[in-house]
Amino acid sequence: MKVTIKSWTGVATWRWIANDDNCGICRMPFDASCPDCKIPGDDCPLVWGQCSHCFHIHCIMKWLHSQQTSHICPMCRQEWKFKE
Amino acid sequence: MTEAVEDIFVRIERAFPILSEKLLHTKEECTEEEFANLAEDVRVLKLSQFVEDIVIHHIEQYIRWHVAPVFWEKFENTEDSKRGFELFKSAVDDLYSNLTEFLPLLKKLEYLRQNQDVVTDPSSVENDIEARFKLIVRATLLSQLPLYHECIIEHFYKIAFNVFCNSDNSSPDVSVNEIQCVGCAQEVENCQCQMIVYIFHETNRKLIELKLLERLVGNVLTSLIHIRIENHVIQTCDKTFDVSQLIPLENWLETVVMSWLIRIYSGGFSKTVTLSDEIRNAINKFKQKLSHFLYETYTKIRINHLFNIIIEYPESQPAVDDLRICLERTDQRKVLIKNLQEAIKTRLLHPGVNTPDIVTAYIAAIKALKHLDSTGVLLEAVTEPIKSYLRSREDTVRSVVNSLLDDSPSELADELVKGECLQLDDGSADDETEDWEKWMPDPVDADPAKSTQRKVSDIISTLVNVYGSQDLFVNEYRTLLADRLLSQLNYHTEREIRHLELLKRRFGENQLHYCEVMLKDVYDSKRIDGNIHSDTSYNLQRELFPTSALILSAQFWPPFKEDWKLKLPNIVQNQLNKYVKAFEALKGNRTLCWKPHLGNVSLEIELKDRKLDINVTPVHATIILHFQDKSEWALQDLAEVIHAPATVLRRKMTFWVSQGLLKETSNDVYVLQEESTSKNRLSTDIVEEEETESVMASASDQREEELQVFWSYIVGMLTNLDSMPIERIHQMLKMFASQGPGAVECGLPELRQFLDRKVREHQLLLSGSFYRLPKS
Repeated sequence: MKVTIKSWTGVATWRWIANDDNCGICRMPFDASCPDCKIPGDDCPLVWGQCSHCFHIHCIMKWLHSQQTSHICPMCRQEWKFKE
Repeated sequence: MTEAVEDIFVRIERAFPILSEKLLHTKEECTEEEFANLAEDVRVLKLSQFVEDIVIHHIEQYIRWHVAPVFWEKFENTEDSKRGFELFKSAVDDLYSNLTEFLPLLKKLEYLRQNQDVVTDPSSVENDIEARFKLIVRATLLSQLPLYHECIIEHFYKIAFNVFCNSDNSSPDVSVNEIQCVGCAQEVENCQCQMIVYIFHETNRKLIELKLLERLVGNVLTSLIHIRIENHVIQTCDKTFDVSQLIPLENWLETVVMSWLIRIYSGGFSKTVTLSDEIRNAINKFKQKLSHFLYETYTKIRINHLFNIIIEYPESQPAVDDLRICLERTDQRKVLIKNLQEAIKTRLLHPGVNTPDIVTAYIAAIKALKHLDSTGVLLEAVTEPIKSYLRSREDTVRSVVNSLLDDSPSELADELVKGECLQLDDGSADDETEDWEKWMPDPVDADPAKSTQRKVSDIISTLVNVYGSQDLFVNEYRTLLADRLLSQLNYHTEREIRHLELLKRRFGENQLHYCEVMLKDVYDSKRIDGNIHSDTSYNLQRELFPTSALILSAQFWPPFKEDWKLKLPNIVQNQLNKYVKAFEALKGNRTLCWKPHLGNVSLEIELKDRKLDINVTPVHATIILHFQDKSEWALQDLAEVIHAPATVLRRKMTFWVSQGLLKETSNDVYVLQEESTSKNRLSTDIVEEEETESVMASASDQREEELQVFWSYIVGMLTNLDSMPIERIHQMLKMFASQGPGAVECGLPELRQFLDRKVREHQLLLSGSFYRLPKS
C-alpha cells in the first residue's frame, strides 16, 4: 500500500510569545484584544518594554499618556522604553 | 223576594250545569230565551259577579278532578317512539275537545258580564273570561305535571322534526329511499310523512290555541333543537379546518331550524307574515338563544380540535378566523386555555416527541394564537407549559439555531429574513403616541404584570426568550458556527457572513462580536496562508505536500473538546512545524499551536488492485499512514504510538474497516487488506454517525466549566462557616464571586443542581437543608 498525502489542511490557534498570559493593565488575555478593540492580533498588537514587560499597545499608550512627569512601566516602576 | 231568589238559583244551575258537577246538560237545554230572562234577573239583582265567580270556581274544580288527570294519564314513560307520538296526539286531541265543551259556558258568562251595569276595564286579564279560563287550564294542568311528561313529547317532536328535515331535501338519497322513507322510517309505499306533518300541525295549532305550546313543549323543543344543532355542527365541522363554517351554519339555522320553529308557532304556515307580533317576538327571542347556542357549540368543537388546527396552521386559518369571531361572542377563553394546555401536554410535551417537532408546533401555535388574539394574552397563557418544557430539553437551542440557519425553506429562516424589515419598521414609527385613539385595553384575563413585554415579541424573540436570555442562544450559535467552519475548511464564508448579518440585526453587534471575529479568522487565514506560500524562505524547503491552515483566535472560539492530543506521523509533524516557522517569520512574536485532531486530509491510497481518493480527518489519516509502514497492528500498540485512548481509536478504526482497507483478524488486532473482498465492505452507517459528532465542547460542558469557578469559593465558605443553607451560599457567591467584568451569573436552581451533583460525587454532604464539606 502506498499512501500519498495530496493536501493537509490543519487547524491551529495563534498566540503571542510573551512571558505572561494576561495584559498587566487591562487584565485581558494577550490573545484577546484590549477593551477598546474588537479584533485581536494585528489590530491590537503587543509591545515590549526594555524591562521585558509587555502590554497591549493601546493599554500602555493610554497609561503613558496619563503620566504627567516621567514614563514608567506600570509593573516594575522602571523607566519605560520601547524595546527595539 | 226570597222565592224569586231561590228560583233564580235553580235557574242559574240549569243554565250552568257545571254547578252540579256535570258538564253537559242532562235534562233539557236551557233555551236562549230562558237564559236572556235569567241574565236580566241577575242584572237586576246585581248578582253577575257572584255567578261568575261561582261558575269559574266550579270549572276549575272540574278541570282539576276530571280533565287534567285524563290528560296526564297518557303521558307514560315509553320507549316506543311511535306509541309516544300517538299518545301525545290523542292527549292533546282529547284535551282540546274536552275544553271546547266549556265554550258555551264561557259564552254565557261573557253574556252575563256584558249585561252588567258596572263598566269594567276590558284590557285587564281578570276581565277577559276566555283568557281567565285558559289561565286556569294552564295552572291546573301544570300543577299536576307528572315526572315523565317529557318522554312522549320528545318522541312526538323528534318524529315530526325528522319528517320535516327530510321533506326539505328535494333530492333525497335514492338508494336509501327505496327501502325506507328516511322521514318516518316506514316503507316507502306506506310513507306516513304527509300524515305526520298534518297531525303535527294540527296538534301545534291546538296547543297554541290553548296557549300551552310554550309551557308544555318549550323545554323539550329547546333540548331537541340543541341536540340537533350539536349533531349538525359535529357533522359539518369535524376534521375540516380549511373552510369557514360560520356562514353556512348560520344559514342552516335560518333555513332549517328557524323555519321549522316558525311552522310550529304558526301551526303549519311557513310564512312569517301571518304571525302576530307576540309570536314573532317569541320566535326572535328563541332565535337569539339558538344562535348563541350554535356559536357556543361551534366554539366548543373548535376548541376541542384546536391542537390539530394549530398543527395545520396556516392551512387551517379559516377555522382560526371562525374561532376568533366565536370567542368574541361566547365567553370561552378560559375553557380554551385549559383544553389547549391539556392537549399540548398529552400530545406534545412528552419524551416521544423530537425537539424540532416541538419547536415547529410551538411556532405554529405562536402564529395561530397571535392570529386568534392579537394582544398575545392567549398565547402567553397557553404556551407557558411549552416554554418550561422546552427549557428542560437540552437540544432546544440547537434545534432552534439549526432551523434558523437551515438552507432549505423553513419557517424560522423565512422569519429571520423578514425580521430585518420588522425591526426597521419599529424604529421609524412611534406608535405609542400616534395610535392612541385606537388603543384597546388588555382582555380581562391578562396578567397585568406582563403587559409591556407582550407588544414587541415576534416569533424568533419569543423562541429565544424561552430561556429568558440571549446568551445561551448566542453561545449555541457560536458552537454551531464553529462546527460548520471547521468541517468546511475551505475559506468560503459568504453564507455564514450573510447569516451573521441577519442575526446581528436582531441581537445586536455586541452579542455576536465573537462570531464576527471567528469569521474574520477564516478570512485572515486565507490571506496568511497565501502570504506563507509566497514566502521565499518557506518555498526553499520544498513542500512534501500542499499544507494550509485555519488559524483561529482561541479566545473567541468556543472551547474545543480536547481529552487527548493526537501524535501525528513525523513527516506530517515536520511539515507543520515548518509552517509554524513560516508563520512566526511572517508575524513577529506570534506562534501557532496546532490542534492536530482537527482538519481535513486528502489522501490517495494505492493498493494492489485499486486506487482510492478519499478525504478524511487527521486521525484517520494518521492511522492509515502507520499501516503503510507495518501492515499489522495491535490496537494497544497503535494507541500508544499515536497517543490516543484505545476506546477512541477502536471507533476510528471502524471507518477503515468499513472502507475495506483494514480487517480485524483477532481481538483488537488489525491487518491491512491489500486486495478487496466485497464481503468486508460494511455499511457506512456507523461511520457517518460518528462523523457528525461536534468537535466543540457542548454548551452544558462549557457551563460546567464556568460554574467550576464557584467551587473554590464554596469550599472556602464551607471551611470557614462549617455548614450553610443554599440561599446563604447563593447570596455569598453573588457578593464575592459575581463581580467585575466577565462575571458568571448563576441562578439559584442552577446552583442547586451544581451542588447536588457535588453531593452525588461525595464532595459535599447535605444534611437537612444544610450543605457542608465531608470530614476528611
